[in-house]
Amino acid sequence: MSATTATPTLARPTRDAAVATALSRRRKARSLVVKALCIAATLIGLALLASILFTLLRLGIGGLKLTVFTHMTKPAGEAGGLLNPIVGSLIQTGIGAAIGTPVGIMVGTYLAEYAAKSALGNAVRFVSDVLLSAPSILIGLFIYQLFVNGRGYSGIAGGLSLAVIVIPIVVRTTEDMLRLIPISLREAAVALGAPKWKAIVLICYRAALDGIATGVLLAIARVAGETAPLLFTSLGNDNWSIDLTKPMASLPLAIYKYAGSPADDWVQLAWVGAMLITFGVLALNIVARVVLRPRG
Amino acid sequence: MGMTMGDTQPQQTTATPQIGPIEARSDEALNTARIAIRNLDFFYGSNRALKAITLDLPDKQVTGMIGPSGCGKSTLLRVLNRMYDLYPGQRATGEVMMDGENIIAPGIDVNQLRSRVGMVFQKPTPFPMSIYDNIAFGVKLHERLSKAAMDERVEWSLTRAALWGEVKDRLPSSAMGLSGGQQQRLCIERTIATRPDVILLDEPTSALDPISTLKIEELIDELKHEFTIAIVTHNMQQAARCADQVAFFFIGELVEVGPALQMFTSPRQQRTQEYITGRFG
Repeated sequence: MSATTATPTLARPTRDAAVATALSRRRKARSLVVKALCIAATLIGLALLASILFTLLRLGIGGLKLTVFTHMTKPAGEAGGLLNPIVGSLIQTGIGAAIGTPVGIMVGTYLAEYAAKSALGNAVRFVSDVLLSAPSILIGLFIYQLFVNGRGYSGIAGGLSLAVIVIPIVVRTTEDMLRLIPISLREAAVALGAPKWKAIVLICYRAALDGIATGVLLAIARVAGETAPLLFTSLGNDNWSIDLTKPMASLPLAIYKYAGSPADDWVQLAWVGAMLITFGVLALNIVARVVLRPRG
Repeated sequence: MGMTMGDTQPQQTTATPQIGPIEARSDEALNTARIAIRNLDFFYGSNRALKAITLDLPDKQVTGMIGPSGCGKSTLLRVLNRMYDLYPGQRATGEVMMDGENIIAPGIDVNQLRSRVGMVFQKPTPFPMSIYDNIAFGVKLHERLSKAAMDERVEWSLTRAALWGEVKDRLPSSAMGLSGGQQQRLCIERTIATRPDVILLDEPTSALDPISTLKIEELIDELKHEFTIAIVTHNMQQAARCADQVAFFFIGELVEVGPALQMFTSPRQQRTQEYITGRFG
């Protein structure tokens, strides 16, 4: 309306129906191509995943006997199990999660709530992101230098190296999830007279619980299968040991050791171990999804 | 549903006094300024958003704040409970006197201040918890109550906006499941539950449908017997319906303040006249 009054001398633009139809047809064709590519990519991804799961099941299920859960790892030729690696993995992953989760949540909270734009906050965020993508073998070497060198391999060192991997994952998800919470919710809590920390702990954490918990689970899933950092820290142990100051077995290390061996029963155990880790993580995710199903 | 609501409402209202009204204030406090703003300036960094504002909020009356977007009315509201403290770079100078204290002075306990000066926002902000816990949250910050006393307080608060009849059977369920209008009334009740002296309403109905808006306006009418209220609104009819006193702001200045009737029938200032008749803004 204002255009016509401002430029009265220009002719009214005409609409060419043929051009419009041609453009529309091209748009639809392009849309179809992109859609097909997306579907193809999805199918490739799913096929790979299905193939992994299927192979694990096919080769692992045959070796899944009660002795896997009751016997220690034994020299090749003797009937052995995976009891010590299973328990060792649970302990070390548990230590990693128990240390990494609170530290990660607190750092993420600091970044999101207290240091969003500060120089220190930016530095911490950058370092955490670098750590997130650091090769895990470096983390193993770091803990090796810090704890193992001179004191010997230990389960606690293994757990600590996993914690170092957990921290940046939890930091990132905690910060991202807290930032998604509308400012109005914080202001509403503060307007009732809540100090900032109470608004964060009682309101923001609750609102972000699903996201933060998902991050923690992803971190646990990630470290449950980590091998490299444990090589330099907990070393592995063929005997039963839950002494945190001594070398400790773990499933990834057992797989690493057995998978390349010429002994068939060891290879079989490696498949069983791989299947246990994969489906254990899968089960953890499914349980979490059911428990943490978004409310309201 | 509307029928049953109508039936239960009066019953609930008569039950209210037993639960204990707000402590009676002395008569001399009536018709005096609950909050006295003197020469208030406000800055977002170096941008002066409020210029030498001087305004009284009369006790137990509704002050409507009107003006075009960006005129500073919401900013003024956020000064009255020190909400701006959350943001570095925002500062206020001047005096805002309440109970003999300058509440914008450093050293004021802002958490206690906010329990006396409550605030409700434009969009409903229910906390992700049960209806009951939404009300109890603010109360727990300032008081230690037994379970029974808290139950009473929750009921007392919910009956204020007649939400009790609608939610009494589902107090443990999530507040996120309420309708927008119910959520906003819950937010007002949540504020009332901490028993403030002053309630700040920042465009409380702009995100609501007409029926919910009407309910909130009725609630405001009810609440002004006990609370001093300041409401920011873009709706002239709402200001006319709800407010006893109306203040018109324009680009950070208080242009004119007066009784609602006078402001809408015979404003003294040309700019007020133009704004309320919809010629700009």
